[in-house]
Amino acid sequence: MTARKRVLYVSSPIGLGHARRDVAIARELRNLVDGVEIDWLAQDPVTRVLEREGERVHPASQWLANESRHIESESAEHDLHCFQAWRRMDEILIANFMVFHDVAREERYDLWVGDEAWELDYYLHENPGEKRAHYAWLTDFVGWLPMEDGGAHEAFLTADYNAEMVEHIAAHPEVRDRALFVGNPEDIVPDRLGPDLPLIRDWTESHFDFAGYVSGFDPNELSDRERVRAELGYRPDEQVCLVTVGGSGVGKALLRKVIAAFPEAKQQVSDLRMIVVAGPRIDPATLPQAEGLEVYPYVHDLYRHLAACDLAVVQGGLTTAMELTANRRPFIYFPLAHHFEQNLHVRHRLERYGAGRCMSFEESEPLDIAAAIGEEIGREVGYRPVETDGAARAAERLAEMLA
Amino acid sequence: MRAVEPDESGFARGIYWERFGDGEPTVLFVPAWAIVHSRAWKMQLAYFARHFRVAVFDPRGNGRSERPLDPAAYAETEYAADIAAVMDASGTERAVVVSLSMGAQRALLFADAHPERVLGMAFIAPSLPLVPGHSERAHYEKRFAEQLDTGDGWAKMNMHYWRRDYRGFIEYFFANVFTEPHSTKQIEDAVGWGLESDAETLIATALGPGLDEAATRAITDGLRCPVLVIHGEDDRIRPVAAGEALAAATGGEFLRMPAVGHCPQARKPVAVNLALREFVERVATGPRTEEAVHGYS
Repeated sequence: MTARKRVLYVSSPIGLGHARRDVAIARELRNLVDGVEIDWLAQDPVTRVLEREGERVHPASQWLANESRHIESESAEHDLHCFQAWRRMDEILIANFMVFHDVAREERYDLWVGDEAWELDYYLHENPGEKRAHYAWLTDFVGWLPMEDGGAHEAFLTADYNAEMVEHIAAHPEVRDRALFVGNPEDIVPDRLGPDLPLIRDWTESHFDFAGYVSGFDPNELSDRERVRAELGYRPDEQVCLVTVGGSGVGKALLRKVIAAFPEAKQQVSDLRMIVVAGPRIDPATLPQAEGLEVYPYVHDLYRHLAACDLAVVQGGLTTAMELTANRRPFIYFPLAHHFEQNLHVRHRLERYGAGRCMSFEESEPLDIAAAIGEEIGREVGYRPVETDGAARAAERLAEMLA
Repeated sequence: MRAVEPDESGFARGIYWERFGDGEPTVLFVPAWAIVHSRAWKMQLAYFARHFRVAVFDPRGNGRSERPLDPAAYAETEYAADIAAVMDASGTERAVVVSLSMGAQRALLFADAHPERVLGMAFIAPSLPLVPGHSERAHYEKRFAEQLDTGDGWAKMNMHYWRRDYRGFIEYFFANVFTEPHSTKQIEDAVGWGLESDAETLIATALGPGLDEAATRAITDGLRCPVLVIHGEDDRIRPVAAGEALAAATGGEFLRMPAVGHCPQARKPVAVNLALREFVERVATGPRTEEAVHGYS
């Protein structure tokens, strides 16, 4: 009898975006590999999703230094220079890699999966001799990109980090047994990795397989929108505007501004019902109240609300925006200032899908937001369709290593 | 944000120290030259605090420790006394003593004075006068107090240059510490720590008396504890031969790291952490005393 296959899954802990898609991939993997055991090395807020889904969080997770807290400490009002924040996270990343290393050294796993688990990918390439299992890397973007106001120095830094990545992969192609891009080649920005480096798309196409977008929900479950609305308690005679900022706790300023827009929006849209989801790391009591406004701390099946609403107001994170795109819901998104992923990578992808209305937090007053809500709510959209088999495709590539 | 916050901190002899974790044994990270401070160990603390107990302190001249301007206050014997004071204040009877660069001198002086308090010694890129230094740097180090007509290259290792362009020296120095490509973050960190001190303080540290070769060898000849030496082959601050010579003089193990500069604990933290952990574990459970052997049997 062969031993059960064991997988150690490391899901990026910044926000909730990766948790749902990783759970979906894990579910598909169980369909493909009999009896596969999956342990998660994860931290808050990802662990909240995993625990509700009945996934096994490895006890060593308690030793992980919290990345979300670091990111929050680096953020200002709707502003997060995520490249620099990530650079300044170096001591947290090494601490967490050492936790991973302890687990991997003491327990047999057949496969390690890292979904934007930067510490894992970086330090495995730095120390290829420490690889003891098959390893798969997942990401939905490739390439650090400079923000315009970062000038020549930031452009130099991002190119230097990209160059190190290119060199790592060239020197140790054996480290990543699979590299999966969560998306399609057309989703990739037209930029170069740096002045003397390849185009990101060319390099990614030659070093990754493409899983297509990996949704965290079952499309069949959501196809009957009227039924989902009824189950969520949305009345037929109301238009629901859902306001959510994901899981990292950075979005409080946006919530406040949208709440300030509520009275005027209500004037414009008489049947408006606004539901604000503060997320697991923002205390609703710290937000202003308004008559008729609903504020919740955390909604587990947020994706069902996103599928059923008449309009969503969100940050520029990929997962939420793509779930809205897949569900063909109108939405307004406010990328965090200086967040290259939200401003460049995600925006490029959403524009390809013709999805969402991008607004600047800094330049938008509550009245502008109210007007945009009035224009967008309930609108019919013509988005490019999003594939629904991404989780299954990703799981197939992982299962190949467990045969 | 730091990866781990101290469980306890305080001052002893004007020296700021921190203690992390409660395991056994204690690993004491001795500071390098006061051009940096205890944050130079930031890639080690969380890992070692999780497995052992860790004490760390800022060197006099930087961080939160005092900054006298009298060179005598920066004698290596003073730093060695700081080690003892920090161990006393943090309730550390014995420790594995891990040092970086110039920290090697104070660590050796401490071990010589208090051998019973040292379980083992690990040296990273030790700066000890056991072999000649890199020639250009050595040349200018001897002329540290002279007025030079150049500030090129290692001529920046000069007190008058520091007064003119402290930042210029700091940046030059750390560009030579981190010889590995893609070290922008490590250089930024270290330059920031260097700028937390100032020219006059650093001049005083540079004029403080240290060990010469004879004094160093007198200590290493008498050293009885286990020793590990880690040194990068591409170290442009102290040649790898210095680490090799220390390992030879102490009968210690030598870990030579190819293509690595003067701060492997920052630039190659996984390899250093694993080597140090293995050493600490071995030393902690190491050769038993007569008494313990009898007790066991």
